Amino acid sequence: MESILGNGPEGGKLTNEFYYSLVTMHGTILVFFVLTAGLSGTFANLLIPYQIGARDMASGFLNMLSYWFFFTSGVVMLASLFIQTGPASGGWTMYPPVNGMSNVAVNQGSGLGTDLWIFSMALFIVSSLLGGLNYIATILNLRTKGMSMFKMPLTVWALLFTAILGVLGFPALLAAVVLMEFDRLLDTSFYLSNIVLNGQLMDYKGGSPILYQHLFWFLGHPEVYIIIVPAMGLVSEILSVNSRKPIFGYRAMVIAIGVIVCLGFLVWAHHMFVTGMNPFIGSIFVLFTLLIAVPSAVKVFNWITTIWRGNLRLTPAMLFAIGFVSMFISGGLTGIFLGNSTVDIPLHDTYFVVAHFHIVMGVAAFFGMFAGVYHWFPKMFGRFINDTLGYIHFFVTIVCAYAIFFPMHFMLSLPRRYYIYTNFQTFQGLEDISKFISVFAIISFLAQLLFVVNIIYSAFKGREMTNDARNPWGSNTLEWTTPVEHFHGNWHGELPEVHRWPYDYSNGFGKEDFRPQTLPLEPGEEAH
Amino acid sequence: MATLITIAVLILLYIVLIQVGKTVEKVRELRGESGDYEKSGNINATLMMVFLVLFFAGIVYSAIYMWPKLLPASASDHGLKIEALFNLTLLLTGIVFIITHILLFWFTYIYRQQKGRKAYFFAHNSTLELVWSAIPAVTMAILVVWGIKVWFEIFPNHDDLPKNRIVIEATGKQFNWLIRYPGKDGVLGRRLITKENVSPTNELGIDFSDPASHDDFFASEIHMVKDRPVEFLLGALDVLHSFYLPHMRLKMDCVPGVPTGLSFTPIRSNDDTRDLLKENPDWQKIDPETNEPRWKNFKYELACAELCGKSHYGMQMNVFVESQKEYDAWMNAQKPIYAGAAKADTAATAVTPETMEMGKDSTVAPAKEAGNAVEASTANAKH
Repeated sequence: MESILGNGPEGGKLTNEFYYSLVTMHGTILVFFVLTAGLSGTFANLLIPYQIGARDMASGFLNMLSYWFFFTSGVVMLASLFIQTGPASGGWTMYPPVNGMSNVAVNQGSGLGTDLWIFSMALFIVSSLLGGLNYIATILNLRTKGMSMFKMPLTVWALLFTAILGVLGFPALLAAVVLMEFDRLLDTSFYLSNIVLNGQLMDYKGGSPILYQHLFWFLGHPEVYIIIVPAMGLVSEILSVNSRKPIFGYRAMVIAIGVIVCLGFLVWAHHMFVTGMNPFIGSIFVLFTLLIAVPSAVKVFNWITTIWRGNLRLTPAMLFAIGFVSMFISGGLTGIFLGNSTVDIPLHDTYFVVAHFHIVMGVAAFFGMFAGVYHWFPKMFGRFINDTLGYIHFFVTIVCAYAIFFPMHFMLSLPRRYYIYTNFQTFQGLEDISKFISVFAIISFLAQLLFVVNIIYSAFKGREMTNDARNPWGSNTLEWTTPVEHFHGNWHGELPEVHRWPYDYSNGFGKEDFRPQTLPLEPGEEAH
Repeated sequence: MATLITIAVLILLYIVLIQVGKTVEKVRELRGESGDYEKSGNINATLMMVFLVLFFAGIVYSAIYMWPKLLPASASDHGLKIEALFNLTLLLTGIVFIITHILLFWFTYIYRQQKGRKAYFFAHNSTLELVWSAIPAVTMAILVVWGIKVWFEIFPNHDDLPKNRIVIEATGKQFNWLIRYPGKDGVLGRRLITKENVSPTNELGIDFSDPASHDDFFASEIHMVKDRPVEFLLGALDVLHSFYLPHMRLKMDCVPGVPTGLSFTPIRSNDDTRDLLKENPDWQKIDPETNEPRWKNFKYELACAELCGKSHYGMQMNVFVESQKEYDAWMNAQKPIYAGAAKADTAATAVTPETMEMGKDSTVAPAKEAGNAVEASTANAKH
C-alpha cells in the first residue's frame, strides 16, 4: 500500500494546499454536480412527463438550455483543476475573506481557481433555475386528464417541491457569489472590513463576512433539501410498490414535504450559531430547526408503517430504499444535537458534523439515487439491471457507509478540514479510527465502481424487457404503460386517462394486487 | 509495479463478479424464476437481520473502544451544562434510533415476500399520525426550552458578566494566535485601526497614547485562573478563524471587522485533569518521546476550527488553568509590549525577512512550520 499511497500526510503525496483543493472540490462537485444534478436533474426529466402523462416537458428549449449551461458549468469547474494556482481551496462554502480576496498569498486557491468556481457556479445556478421553472410549469400545466394534484405519485410531488426550493433559493447564492466577485475584482467591500495583511491595513471598509454566510446559507440550507427531497419521493414510491401496499398517509406525506420546504427557508442560520451572530437570533433559529424534526419524524414513521404487514419484494431498489430510511434516521437524529445551538457550540465544525451530514444528505441521498436507478433501469434502457451485482453493491455499501461515518461521531472533538492533527496532543489516539475509516472508504469506492460496471454491462447485455411485460414491478403509475422503446411523445395515440390515486395496491379488488391509475373505479372501490 | 499488480487484481475481481452475476441470472432464467424475488428474498432478508445485529454490536464495540480516547470531563462551567443537554439528547435520540431500526429491519425480515402472503391494505389512520406528530413535537419543545435557557446563560448580556473576570484578547491570523493580556491594571489598551497606526510591528493597531496599553503584554500561551471567570475578546486580522477550546467545550468564530466574545469560568486546572487521566488506560501508555506515561504531560490546547488557509491545522497553542498564585508569578515574568515598542523600527527589519522566508515553503514539514509560527509570534511579542 505504501508504494501507492505514500506513508501518511507527512512524506506522503498530498501537499496541504492540494489537500484543501481536494476537500473543496469534493464538496462542490458532490453537493451540486452529483447530488443536485443527479437527483432532481435526471429523475425530474425522466419521471415528470411519464408519471403525469405528458408528451414532453413544458419547454424543450429551456430543457436544452438548462442542460448545456450545466455542461459548461461542469467543464469550467473541472478546468480549474488544471490551472497553475490550482482550484479553489477555501472550502465548498467559499467563505470570505479567505476566498474573498484574489490574493494567492492568503490562499493559493483564491487566485483564478476561485474566479472559475464563481463563474461555474453562476452557470450552474442559471441551469438550475431554467430546469426548475420547467419542472414547475410541466407539473402544473401538463397533467393528463384526471390527474389532479392529489392523484400524483409522491415522486412528482417531491420533484415539484424541490423545484420550488431551487427557484427560490439559488438566486440568493447567485447574489452572494457575484458580490464576492465584485470584492475580488473591483475592490468593493461587501464582505470585507478591517483586514490586516502583512501588517498593512487594507482599504476594505464596512463589509461583513457574516453577510456572505447569511446569503450563502439562505440557499445552502434549502440545498440539502433540494438533495434529500427527491430521494424521499423516489423512496416513497419504491417502498410502496415493492411492499404491495399503499404508501401510508399519502396526504400527510405531501404535507410533510410542504412543511419541510417552508421551514427549510427559516433555518439557515443554524449553520452560523458560533459565527458571532447575535445570540438572540440564534435562539429563534433553534426553534425552527428543531421543529423540522416533526415532519421528518412523520415521514419516517409512515415509511415504516408502509412496510408493516406488506409482502416485501426485496429487489436491490427496495433494499436501497430501506437503507435510505435507516440512513435518514441515523443522520437525522444527530441533527437534533446540532440544531440545538447550545449543543452545537462544541460540535460545530468537527467530525460530528461531518458524520451527520454525510449520513443524512450524502449517503441517504445516494441510496435514494441508487434505489431510483435500480427501480427505473428497465424504463431507461429496456433491459433489467443485474440483481446479483446489485445485492453485492447494496450490502458492501451499507456496511462501508456505516463503518466510515458511524465511528466519526466519536471523533467529536476533532475539527474538520485538518490536514494533520497529530500536532495536537488533544487529538492523538484517533489514528486507529482514521485508518479503519480509510480502509472502508477504499472498499466502498470499489463497490461503487462495481455499480458503474453493472450499469454499463446491463445496459448492453442485461435481460431484455418485452412490451408484453412492460410493467415488471406491477406498478400503478403511468410510466409503465408506455412502450419499451423510447420515442418522442411517450404514448402512441391518445394520452392515458387517470381515474384513481397511484397507491391502490392489494385493495382487495381484481385478480392482481395492483390497480393501475388508468383503471376506472369499480363500484365499492374507495377513491383516495 | 505494485500499482500495476493492484490494478490487474481489481480488473480480475470485476470480471469474476460480472461472471457470477451473469451465471446467477442465466440459472434463474433456465429455472423460469426471472423476476421472482422469493428465494433471493429469503437470503437478503436474513442478511438484513445479520446486518442489524452486526450494526448494533459494532456501535457497542466502538463505544467501548473509543471511551478512553474521548476528551476528559469538561474543564469549564458552561461545558457541564452543554454536556448535560448533550446527554439528554443522546438518550432521547438513542431510544428512537434503536426502536425505529429494530422495526425497520425486523419488518423487512418477517414481511419478506412469501407464497400466500397478502399485503394488508392500510392507507391512513388519523389517530396514529396525530400521535406520532405530537410525541416528537413535545420532545422537541423540551429540548428547545432547555437549549435556549442554557444558550442565554452561556451568552449573557455583557453588563451581567462577573466583575472579577480576567479579560483577554485573542486575535487570529494566518497561522497563529495573538494573545494580549491587559497586564496589572486589568484594562486592555485602546486599539486604533487606521492606516497610520497599523504596521508590521503593531498589527493590532494598539494606540500607545492610551496609558492603559503600557502594561499590556503578548503571551505565547494562554493562562487562566481556576474558578475565576474569564472573558475572551475575539477578533481576526486577515480571514475567519475560530477560537476553539476542546476541553472547555467552547468555540467562537473570530471575524475580521466584527468583534465577538466568549466568557466562561474554568473549573478544572491542568493538575485536576491530570489526576483524572491517571486512571485512564489510554493515558497510562508510555509516550515514546518522553518515556513517561502520557498523562504526565497533559495540557489543554487551543485550536482553530474554521478553515483559514493552508496551515489551518497548525494553529495550536497551549492553555493552562492554574491557581491565582501561579498565574501571578507567570504574569510578572511577562514583558509589556510598550517597552519594546520604542525599538519597533529596528525590530521590524529583524523580524520581517524571517517571517517571509517561513511563508515560502510550508509543505516539507507542516507540523514543524506550525511550531515555527508559534515561535515567530513569541518573537513578535517580545521584540
